Amino acid sequence: MTKEERLKKRHRAEKRFRFYGLTSIFVALLFVVILVQNIFSKGSSAFKKTVITTEVFFDQELLEIQNGASQEEIMEADFYDIMIENLIKAYPAKDRDEEDELLKLFSGDAEIEIKKAFLNDNNLIGKTITLDLTASDDIDQLHKGNYPRDLPEERRRISDFQLVIYDYFVENKKINKNFNNYFFNNGDSRDPELAGIGGALVGSFYSILICLLLAFPVAVLASIYLEEFAPKNKITDFIEININNLAAVPSIVYGLLALQILLATIQLPRSTPLVAGITLALMTLPRIIIPCRASLKAVPPSIREGALAVGASKFQSVFHHVVPLALPGTLSGTIIGLAQALGETAPLILIGMVAFVVDIPSSPVDPSSSLPVQVYLWSESAERGFVEKTSATIMMLLSFLIVMNFIAVYLRQKFEKRWN
Amino acid sequence: MSNIKIKSKNLNVYYGDKQALFDVNLDLNEKEVTALIGPSGCGKSTFIRCINRMNDVIDICKVTGNIEMDGMNINDKDLDVVSLRERVGMVFQKPNPFPKSIYDNISYGPKIHGKGETKSELDQIVENSLKKSALWEEVKDRLDEPGTSLSGGQQQRLCIARAISVNPEVILMDEPCSALDPIATAKIEELIDELKKTYTIVIVTHSMAQAVRVSQKTGFFHLGKLIEVGKTEKIFKNPDNKMTQDYITGRFG
Amino acid sequence: MNIVLIFLITIFSVSLFFYGKSKTKTISLKDNIKLNALPKFYGYYLVLWCSIPALVFLLVWSLFEPVIIKSIIIETAANQGAIFSDKNEANLIYEKIKAIHLGTYFGDIDSILRESALAYAKFINLFTNSKVVLIFGIIIASVIYSLKKIKNNNKARDDVEVILKGLLFVSSLIAILTTLGIIFSLLFESIKFFSVINIFDYLFGTNWSPQRAFVRDASSITAAEFEELKDAFGFIPLIAGTSFIAFIAMLVAVPIGLFSGIYMAEYASIKVRRISKPIIEILAGIPTVVYGFFAALTVGPFFRQVGENLGLTVSSESALAAGLIMGIMIIPYVSSLSDDVINSVPQSLRDGSYAVGATKSETIKQVVIPAALPGIIGSVLLAVSRAIGETMIVVMAAGLAANLTINPLESTTTITTQIVMILVGDQEFDSPKTQSAFALGLTLFIATLILNYIAQRAVKKYREKYD
Repeated sequence: MTKEERLKKRHRAEKRFRFYGLTSIFVALLFVVILVQNIFSKGSSAFKKTVITTEVFFDQELLEIQNGASQEEIMEADFYDIMIENLIKAYPAKDRDEEDELLKLFSGDAEIEIKKAFLNDNNLIGKTITLDLTASDDIDQLHKGNYPRDLPEERRRISDFQLVIYDYFVENKKINKNFNNYFFNNGDSRDPELAGIGGALVGSFYSILICLLLAFPVAVLASIYLEEFAPKNKITDFIEININNLAAVPSIVYGLLALQILLATIQLPRSTPLVAGITLALMTLPRIIIPCRASLKAVPPSIREGALAVGASKFQSVFHHVVPLALPGTLSGTIIGLAQALGETAPLILIGMVAFVVDIPSSPVDPSSSLPVQVYLWSESAERGFVEKTSATIMMLLSFLIVMNFIAVYLRQKFEKRWN
Repeated sequence: MSNIKIKSKNLNVYYGDKQALFDVNLDLNEKEVTALIGPSGCGKSTFIRCINRMNDVIDICKVTGNIEMDGMNINDKDLDVVSLRERVGMVFQKPNPFPKSIYDNISYGPKIHGKGETKSELDQIVENSLKKSALWEEVKDRLDEPGTSLSGGQQQRLCIARAISVNPEVILMDEPCSALDPIATAKIEELIDELKKTYTIVIVTHSMAQAVRVSQKTGFFHLGKLIEVGKTEKIFKNPDNKMTQDYITGRFG
Repeated sequence: MNIVLIFLITIFSVSLFFYGKSKTKTISLKDNIKLNALPKFYGYYLVLWCSIPALVFLLVWSLFEPVIIKSIIIETAANQGAIFSDKNEANLIYEKIKAIHLGTYFGDIDSILRESALAYAKFINLFTNSKVVLIFGIIIASVIYSLKKIKNNNKARDDVEVILKGLLFVSSLIAILTTLGIIFSLLFESIKFFSVINIFDYLFGTNWSPQRAFVRDASSITAAEFEELKDAFGFIPLIAGTSFIAFIAMLVAVPIGLFSGIYMAEYASIKVRRISKPIIEILAGIPTVVYGFFAALTVGPFFRQVGENLGLTVSSESALAAGLIMGIMIIPYVSSLSDDVINSVPQSLRDGSYAVGATKSETIKQVVIPAALPGIIGSVLLAVSRAIGETMIVVMAAGLAANLTINPLESTTTITTQIVMILVGDQEFDSPKTQSAFALGLTLFIATLILNYIAQRAVKKYREKYD
């Protein structure tokens, strides 16, 4: 090989190597894009729900209440007959079977929705109003284009006759898309069109709040001790080793810990944000201590010496001077730790947060779900409607995480002093 | 009068907005030792790093002007720095052996340049380089040991051996003795004396005594400008410039 | 009640603060001593003494009260003739008694239940009263003690600082307590498990099918049941599945992560680095349940489809899909750590290599990477430990049945998947099946501990070399 050939070969190898690096970065970035695009394309339709515009006539004979009835009377009244009578008028059905198929196009909550309209205005007896009633999951998915209608009938959840009704609705502009308030306000449900993340949002909020209240003070105090006061001895070394190891223990092990100690031994109530919060706090603690210590360490010794030199005690120098300077880093580390805790799923499954909870929890000791657990639960469901709900929940979860991370970065960049 | 090996004309170097060298015109003679002296930050190191284009490593560094070796423009954008550096070796301020064995430290250069196709050829190159750098007797029985296990002076001679191993024409030395004790320094200086028979050497040094001991020609830099250049004897006995006079008599620096 | 108590403790503490602060004036006036601390420190001192012992006591009491009351009530119910064969029935009866007491029970109430409910009310009352009395006792005792201490004391600040330092120390002990808690809770059930299942049958058994272990009570087990149990808990298929999926993940993560790290450390301009590094790190911030969803609903079916078109049978829960997605999740762990490690290789080594005429890639391959190798190995080991401990991706995308296979297109299961599957829903604490989950947890804990230890040692040693 001549010298020139050899040089050329070496430069080709150089280019190849560089290309591998660039490709790797590109591939990693591509994954981010594909993942986000996939979730968004599936989930964005969940923020709208399909409604069927229906005329509802409040017949005095079918309702056993008068105009001006009190709230309690309305709550107790039976709106079932009113619902049936009005819904079957939505399309000229020939017989009982066709009426049944027609009724299946509405959600299970049609009766409640009619009742709510009456609760808003209790002088509707004898009058006719138009209401936007929530459509069933099948119609919802069909209308959003997520459901193929060219399958043979026996493999479809919607019958040919229902498709005829649907087309009739579309032609007469009776079918519309509204903002999906159920998705934000409702708890879990077996019916995708009624299921919402209200309960999961509240559950996650309580869990993270408890996690913050427990983990933040302890982490800050522990970091201050280890960084500023701890003598160099075996106990301190042991604590350090423990913290580093705990930060790397798989999260599911914390679930086992919670199951054995919090549920079986102390007997705290299962499936509650209280237990979730404590578990997440134990898990997050080492992950907060590490950045806290780093930001304390970054404060130069000259600050401490300056304070000591004017006669401050060690405590005063630490709490008056070092801690305030380390605060931005500490806070941003805490927020990032909490963001991780917010997305954590495995330990929460073990402490029973997978229970089916319809009610929105009113306190941290009520059974509840959380956002990531809700993702897990819905992703196991067969109904098509849950796919878009799951994706939309992920979108909510990711936007919370993005906001938290932005706050953390902002805090650090805006308030952290650089020491050179 | 010996041949001019390297010739710089109106050489300017900028680090971002800061100019580090101003119109440097300096000729280096073949098979001679040229010493560059001057206070810290005066541009001596910047200058020698232009000769083997080591400044390319620094992103913000920009070089203008001309610098030629045997009539070839070193600053040419199309020039292959790899083959340039094969011809212009360098020894650094702090010894920087690779975390490999002594043998691999030296065989690294020849291997990547395709010199020494066979094991015995490589062995020969390693032995010759170590002999030329006067390290052979000390390490010949432990070529497998890591280069970092040697003493500071030995490490620096190892780095010199590494530079010689690819058989360059020019060797640049950036304060090669600043991290060494006097005995190790003396050894290196002896070595430089020996090496100048084969190679053109440029040495940056803080020690004026060292410049006097090893060099034939001396250049004095101050604040990025080449103030004076000439035969070493003349510079130290009878400089033309007042500033040079002040520097060598220790009035500033 | 607890909230009232905490409120009272707070009020006492605050008023003691002002008392302590004013008291110092009389000390300094009367005895002509020069105070060595500001008056407020006397206030702090009293506050700490008043609140900490009472609060600690309240916490400990609240933790143990329900457990103690429960055991007492179950015992009294048993004495009165209530019949329950196992722990679950006892729990049920206890819940009934509690509900009767709260007035939320609507079933039939027999005399035993009624009597027990009365006893329950009595004990709750007794415990609450004694709690209040004891807490007040503690407050009075500690306040008297601390008041005595601040008399003739001119160094209240030092004393406050000693107490606070103790508080700081206790906070840092939480880390040790958590570790102990983990070890205790894992060992406790594991020991019970290994008293039924031979540890060698567990470690070397090749068949994992815990659903066969329907035995309810491990303490009374028949010989036939024992034979049945013996080869229901073989660990080999789980560790094989776990390693297999982790291996696939590393096949994705190591090359991509390492090359990205190298590119970012050595080639990328500051601008490219500033943009691409955080975007890649997004991959580490995405909750794993999201990856699980993506793997199970998009990647799994996609592979199955592709396989069908190629004439291959691909399970929709293939190890390949789970491993691939796990690998993507791990990319940033490898890339960030190796980027850091490569950055800390001293520039002088690179200069030395360039100076003999090496190209950049030759320098990286032959000088930088060998120098950074311990650190890179450490970061890869950390990534492996993440992979084997990862739960949600495999729970959602990998299989449930323990197949011993090396075909990436088939489904296989992992340790973490099995833990979740066993513990999801209702558990009976005394069945070997439930206990096996803790044994798996213990195995996982030990495995990740060893990996992390080696990895951290490697990285630390490497750092020391170049610092």
